[in-house]
Amino acid sequence: MSNSTDVFGAALSRRGFVKAGGVLLAGFGLARAEGQQQAGRVDALNPALPESWIEIHDDNTILIRTGKSDFGQSTIFTAYRQIVAEELSAPFEAITTVVSGDTDRTPDGGGTFDLLGGGMPNVRKAAAYVHQALLDLASQRLGVPKEQLSVKDGVVSGGGKSLSFGDLVKNQKLSLTIPVKGDVNSMFGLTVNGNPPLKPVSQYTIIGKSFPNSAIVSKVTAKETWVTDVRLPGMMHARMVHPRTLGSKLVSVGALDKARFPNAQVIVKGNLVGVVAPTEWEAIQAAQQVASGTKWTEWKGLPGNQRLFQLLKEDADWKTAPAASSKTNKGDVAAAIANSAKKLSATYQLPFLKHAPIGPTMAVGDVRPDGTVYVYTHTQNPQALRSGIAQMLTTSVDRVVVRTFAGPGHYGRSNGGNAGAEDEAVILSQAVGKPVRVQWTRQDDFAWSTQSSAAFSEVEIGVDAKGSLSAYEINHYMPAMQDDRLVGAILAGLPTIPAPNEKGSLFGVANSMQDPWVYDATPAVLERAYGTGQVGQNSSPLNVGLRDHSMRTPGQYQQNFPRELAITEAAVLAGVDPLAFRIQHAREKRLIGVLESARENSGWATRSQRPSGSDAVSRGQGVSVMFRSGTYWACVAHIAVNMTSGAIKVEKITVAVDPGIVVNPAQLKRQVEGGAMMGVSMALLEELRFDESGVTASDWRSYPIATMADVPEIKVVLINQPEVGTYGQGSEAANALAAPAIAGALFDATGKIARRLPLKADYVKTLLKA
Amino acid sequence: MTTIVVNGVKREVQAPTDTPLLYVLRNDLALSGPQFGCGLAQCGACSVLLNGKEVRSCITTLGSAAGKEVTTLEGLPARWAKQNGLAEADAAKILHPVQAAWIEEQTPLCGFCQNGMMIKATELLERVASPSVAEIKEAFTTSGPSPHLCRCGSYTAIIQAVQRAAAAMSKRSEA
Repeated sequence: MSNSTDVFGAALSRRGFVKAGGVLLAGFGLARAEGQQQAGRVDALNPALPESWIEIHDDNTILIRTGKSDFGQSTIFTAYRQIVAEELSAPFEAITTVVSGDTDRTPDGGGTFDLLGGGMPNVRKAAAYVHQALLDLASQRLGVPKEQLSVKDGVVSGGGKSLSFGDLVKNQKLSLTIPVKGDVNSMFGLTVNGNPPLKPVSQYTIIGKSFPNSAIVSKVTAKETWVTDVRLPGMMHARMVHPRTLGSKLVSVGALDKARFPNAQVIVKGNLVGVVAPTEWEAIQAAQQVASGTKWTEWKGLPGNQRLFQLLKEDADWKTAPAASSKTNKGDVAAAIANSAKKLSATYQLPFLKHAPIGPTMAVGDVRPDGTVYVYTHTQNPQALRSGIAQMLTTSVDRVVVRTFAGPGHYGRSNGGNAGAEDEAVILSQAVGKPVRVQWTRQDDFAWSTQSSAAFSEVEIGVDAKGSLSAYEINHYMPAMQDDRLVGAILAGLPTIPAPNEKGSLFGVANSMQDPWVYDATPAVLERAYGTGQVGQNSSPLNVGLRDHSMRTPGQYQQNFPRELAITEAAVLAGVDPLAFRIQHAREKRLIGVLESARENSGWATRSQRPSGSDAVSRGQGVSVMFRSGTYWACVAHIAVNMTSGAIKVEKITVAVDPGIVVNPAQLKRQVEGGAMMGVSMALLEELRFDESGVTASDWRSYPIATMADVPEIKVVLINQPEVGTYGQGSEAANALAAPAIAGALFDATGKIARRLPLKADYVKTLLKA
Repeated sequence: MTTIVVNGVKREVQAPTDTPLLYVLRNDLALSGPQFGCGLAQCGACSVLLNGKEVRSCITTLGSAAGKEVTTLEGLPARWAKQNGLAEADAAKILHPVQAAWIEEQTPLCGFCQNGMMIKATELLERVASPSVAEIKEAFTTSGPSPHLCRCGSYTAIIQAVQRAAAAMSKRSEA
């Protein structure tokens, strides 16, 4: 082989021969990483460690690496394996190892979102390059032109001869350098560049099958190493004593009762107070004792739940940050509404929500004597966390390693790096010179973590005499949504990224249009999104108010609920069945397809086709749709409303989903079922309670979520569309669909319109009496 | 020194008797099945069987477990083996039908709550061979100090896994 073979822009080279073993490593070269200003930035602590995407071993096993972590989606253990096996034409089972997340063991960084990368995740393109490299190797070895070779089950054949992938790499050290762009420590990490040939969809044999999630066995048999299981030699346990309010400064620290807690110590840095002890029970008790004597300044800078929307509407600055306009805006909306036969004008409100992981956030920090820092955590974006920890300690990013482990899902909270406890663990470890495990309490997790933004939207709709939409205008208002600051760094007065501000375009106060318009037949459309700062932040001496963060279907949930409920209201105004009304205004066949599927599979029936309800219970049906990340969704909710108490029981949820190619039907079905259930919980129960000083929700009684008693019949219909040519994603969309469908069903059942969430019994009861 | 029997093995523990059992199991005995979810007996992530009854190990003190039999997720295969007269060596090779059903149904999403779900399912199926859906819901919501909470929304998959486990366990007892 010559020094280097060009493989569609990647470079295949032989680094040497080995007596035993043999491997092809597919990674990236620093010189080819466009946008890498500092050559050292992508180095892991130990540059000798592999940073390849894919390794082909001489025993025909394959290893894949990804900077993303599993948060219960199973994608990296199922879909990623299927995608790589498919592109390589290797057996699924040949991929014996998936290395994920760890910053010193994975190549590409980026967050655990957008897992299928718009149909082109890094692993797919990397596999496509590797496939071509293997063909080049086989062509040379077999003396057969590349185009005359065929590959099946990891064996390349041509000219009557064949070689396995393992044979091709035996006794060699081969490397394939893949072109990449981006910054590994940024929110989005590195992206594989170039256009290697991809396997035609018509030849797929692995994608589309329901392979099981390999991580489930270890979790079910208690063999998984969860983040909660990380134990380091000499490790100390810690509990935090967080400020009394979101704006409190430390006045004095309570004295530690050394007689009761001889091994505990209190660490104070600025407004950060932590209690560290060799055993967890001593740390817990000592922290409670210290907290009871610790004094804080008082602060009242929040509106409380009662005044939230009044503040957002009347006092918040929506003008400084630029408004975002939808690309699909068209026509003269004002004129069209003025000329419409019927009009609708309404405001919709969504509360703050908590990610509410079942386990409160925890992490282990280990600042070693040589100044290197190890963080053990459950994060969606280890490279971004690494960079945040380096900034906090004013050290270089190559001194920091983040290792990731399975943990309680937290649905977007850490997609910009931190889940909450990591920086505190590092600060305390640095102070005591030992590894420290910080476990937040349930109350810490409600009070000090970020939340999904509250929002409101104002809608104006015109309906013409023929019963069609003549014009649609919506203005969305939502405070900044992505506060990735390290809260421990803020409390300790250490450096961290700036608070969301007007200048931060992506993560600042500016809002953006997240919910693509789908009713293409509407002649005049105007959609805008307005942003502002976080509630309470400016008046807080800590610069901490209600910190917001993306959570499942971020921004789009806040925009889709008002749109979809308003469309249902418009349909009723037009005298048209809400599902038929949606089809009537759709042009996209895939959208019409999911709506028709939801209609057939849910048992949708027009009012006149249904028996009328009793006085005690009224039943109704509602529908919602969404287009997200290449996937079309339709949802039908069937509910029963207790006309006395106002309690809603969701009896059935039907979700039709067309992602293009369905990669793994069984896993997708479970994801959608889970998302729909969480969506029911959000729609019926969830609203963060807070007063003028901070979050008052502290446990599962003050922030209730759905239980098994609330389970509806959930029917998931997967629509596989190979002709779309690629796979969509965003199973989180299932979360967002429930609320507008349930509110539509409430309207259907009772004639009452509930334009704010959640749809708690008391609220519905008030509507029923009105 | 407190003596407890964990997964069939007598263990001597140094921790103070007021230590919640959860921290003893996780930190002193290196058992990773039970998880810390709330410390308030409100979620069920920390559940274990204490003399066959599902309890929340986060509010159960070491002292109150003294002399009693604790079964954690790790001990479910041995528990099933003993109940069915299988040799101890076989216990290492099998899964409890509840665990097998959880895998076959691909029940967990993030999986953090599933320890408690499987413990609760085991308690239920030892009491009721073929529970109805209503009985399953009752077990997971009103039978204990709080409902067993799953944030990922895997309740449907849990119900299906309990039904599958029930069928497998009934088959075994008929054999």
